[in-house]
Amino acid sequence: MFVFAASDKGGTGRSVTSANLAYQRALGGDHVAYVDFDFGSPTAAAVFDVPSAMRGTRERGLHSYLEGEVTEPAGIDIWRHTEHSVLRARQNQAGRLVLYPGDIGGGEFATGEEALERCVDLLLRLNSEFDLVVVDLSAGRSYAVDLVLAATAHPRTRHVPYRWLVFHRWTHQHVIAAAGLVHHENGIVRSGVDRGHDEETLQGSIRFVRAAVPDPESPLWSQVSHAQQAWMQSCDKALRRLAADQRVGDSVVLGTVPLEPILQWREQLITEDDVLSTQIANKETLEALEEIARRLTDDSHWGRP
Amino acid sequence: MAPEGTAPRAVLACGEVRTCLLPAGQALDSRAAAQLLRLRADERVLVSERPNLYGLSPDTLTGVDCRLPSSNGARVRAVGTVAARAALTEGRVLQTSAYFRVPATGPDHRRPWGQYLVRPGVVEPFGRLPREAVAEGLLDGGRHGELDVGLIADGMQTRLLRHPLLDHRPPLRSRPTRLRWVALPARDGDGPSIERFTLAEDALRTVRLRVPEGVRSADIAGLCDDLALHDWLLTTVVRILDGIRLGPGEPWPRPGPAGDLPVVVGALRPAVDHLLHLWMPRARVSGELAHLWAALEERPGFTRQWLTLVQRVRDQLALHAIPPSYREVEPRP
Amino acid sequence: MKDVVFRETTAEPRTQSVPLSHLSLELGHLYMEDFEAGPGRLRRHFEAVRPWVEAARSAAADRAGGGRPRISTCFLVDDYFTRFSRPAELVPLLLAEAGRAGLTVDYLARESGCAVNGKVPVAEAVAGRIVEEPPPGSYGNRPPAAQTGWLANGVRSPAARTPQAMQRAAAWQPPTETAARRHSVFLDVELFSDTPDGQRVWSCPFLAAVWQLARLGLLRHQGDAVLDPHPHTGSAFPDDWDELPALVRLNPRAAPFAAYRTCSVLPNRFLPVEHAVRVILDQLEVDAEALRQVGERSARENVSLPASVADRVSYLFYAGS
Repeated sequence: MFVFAASDKGGTGRSVTSANLAYQRALGGDHVAYVDFDFGSPTAAAVFDVPSAMRGTRERGLHSYLEGEVTEPAGIDIWRHTEHSVLRARQNQAGRLVLYPGDIGGGEFATGEEALERCVDLLLRLNSEFDLVVVDLSAGRSYAVDLVLAATAHPRTRHVPYRWLVFHRWTHQHVIAAAGLVHHENGIVRSGVDRGHDEETLQGSIRFVRAAVPDPESPLWSQVSHAQQAWMQSCDKALRRLAADQRVGDSVVLGTVPLEPILQWREQLITEDDVLSTQIANKETLEALEEIARRLTDDSHWGRP
Repeated sequence: MAPEGTAPRAVLACGEVRTCLLPAGQALDSRAAAQLLRLRADERVLVSERPNLYGLSPDTLTGVDCRLPSSNGARVRAVGTVAARAALTEGRVLQTSAYFRVPATGPDHRRPWGQYLVRPGVVEPFGRLPREAVAEGLLDGGRHGELDVGLIADGMQTRLLRHPLLDHRPPLRSRPTRLRWVALPARDGDGPSIERFTLAEDALRTVRLRVPEGVRSADIAGLCDDLALHDWLLTTVVRILDGIRLGPGEPWPRPGPAGDLPVVVGALRPAVDHLLHLWMPRARVSGELAHLWAALEERPGFTRQWLTLVQRVRDQLALHAIPPSYREVEPRP
Repeated sequence: MKDVVFRETTAEPRTQSVPLSHLSLELGHLYMEDFEAGPGRLRRHFEAVRPWVEAARSAAADRAGGGRPRISTCFLVDDYFTRFSRPAELVPLLLAEAGRAGLTVDYLARESGCAVNGKVPVAEAVAGRIVEEPPPGSYGNRPPAAQTGWLANGVRSPAARTPQAMQRAAAWQPPTETAARRHSVFLDVELFSDTPDGQRVWSCPFLAAVWQLARLGLLRHQGDAVLDPHPHTGSAFPDDWDELPALVRLNPRAAPFAAYRTCSVLPNRFLPVEHAVRVILDQLEVDAEALRQVGERSARENVSLPASVADRVSYLFYAGS
């Protein structure tokens, strides 16, 4: 299955959250590929902590592959190459986790027919090797979004299931932006239909992930005043109303990731170690990630709401 | 098959074979296999049904003009053609194989292209070939810009995987493997032998062979295709057995209509349906090379490992055939 | 070696062999404009050809080492690009004009037989045998996007691309001939074009290259010979070109159609076409078994033969159009 991670704006934690989902799925036994289609700023290497393995893949990343400079893009086996001490001790029964990075210093580029065919080749090869292929896409209405919409409408991929995760922060502007990315003119649905997707099927395969959501119930906010508490709750309520109006309401939300400093600042994978031994991450965050990871393949959360 | 009589004597042969599960829900029958492998309108696909269903495409050529990799940094330019072909075993396992041979010396200039084309699968060095260094260089894989026979095998695989016959619904997830080989001349009077079979990182295997003069490079490639096929089968079934979670953890939900099969049965069933009947070493290895299998059967014991794996698969399935209420404990590996 | 007890015919390659002459001598191509110019044009052509035919025959005799060389003559009529006249009218006229110059046409071929012959897609199959000449630096990577329908004898001048943002546009670079001696004679050959309704039209040089392969006995389709000569029985020729076999043996005593070498006697205007033919032939991987059969037979007859297929082809160009 392909999972496409999209967002309208930067700063939604799309890359780091989708990397965490890939990590969780691999821990649970899936073979997972993480494909960095964030062409403008390829950063996945930092998330997985594989800086030196990246040096060995210079000029063999996805940019070069899609442009036809190399025939096989470099893949980095995370368990073997990560410099993250916890990750390196690969959990028993974990599946493979392989990062397909972009070129170092690569940028956005226009894609053509050839790049589309190569993209389809790549996705299909990964599909026959991995249980789950997570594709992190450049923010906004990007070439990357266009490319995978065309690739999943291609006759060769007709039998491969795909799902979209649209990440947004829990603010007025982000809710509107995420709705726009999906529903507006030139949005994912319209562009997808233009490329041959069935509107209902495509709609049914898009879910939203609310990121960096402050939970008024969380112990983090237990010290705040009563007035603050009430204000936060009313804001939250207003946002829910807005989200429902914009067709990004609760029925199409796959999950919510709490506001978590470690995701915001360290931009790395959250391990059990971070929760249990060093306690720098919240248990709720890890649980939220595990739950979203589980729901990725739980059909009861997908389809027309 | 390409005649080798017209070319100067080869002192080194090299190739790479890529092996993968055909990404199709159903195995191809012989007609469909012939259709897939018809790389040229005017050449037959060789289809054989004994002792198993097997199709072999015609050879196609790719022109090269570049340096050969070498372990000591020797800079040897070479020009010629690399042959590549595809094979499909039981309509299920696709192999693309690229190979070439190199004579001991060649002219120190490039000749008209038509003269290379009448020696298919020959790559000629400029001057003398530093044989040992190049053999090691080829096995290690060269630097960027040096001859990469794997790319040619990969290019053919990519081309075949675009065929409209394939629905890209593989019955199981599996990892493609690469097997790179070199063959050097055997010492006078010696028969063929395998000097080294190495499992390297990233699903790469390397094989170093010695063969007497006169053994055709297509036959050596055939032997290596056979080794690669069986190594892939072992690798793939081991992975399936590794992947069945027998512990307490809850497995991830699977999309699609929920089957009532136990998870372990769901994971093992494709191996039974699609892989277990494929084990048939030496089925198409030429007579003079067939006995090379004996060394691998001795150590590490390919067939011995296979039989053990097959037994494990069957035991697991047998255990799960027992209704849970009659089991005292949950099955473990 | 193969198991001798058990055989599967579908599992073994098989290639038909064809009889061979020493030389296939082509007396000319006929196009509509030649026909429209009237019988005088044909007469002048055969008169101009005759001395060169003599020269080609004596050169073949020298090469055959004293023995009497087997030589067959042939003539090609274009019925592919334009349809004109009728076999019943044209063939007797052609034979009469050749006879007047003292020449015998042993075999007559229709050009469309080089495109499709019966159910065999001859040209398409030959196009599938192109192995492009690799420029230095080709290490097994996919060749830079091939120009569909074109074949060059070197590296094309890079197409002017819009440079990426913040990068300078590259200066013009010349095309280069890969086999150049210091300076290039770059040639880019159009192999075919597609009509708006999807019909593929093969170019004249490409069909001429197929024609050369047929004459060299190197064309096979799944092991069978292509362009088998049909004897001409009866006296009349049909009214429709489609009813005439692609290759007709007009002279029952003719030496075999295919030969170790070919020679074509043509007016100068064919020079660019035949240069293109050479560029194509030099990048064709011909059927290996057919090539081996020809090589073995020539060796048995002590006939020396160039290894390269393109070098087995020769021309005599006469002044005129």
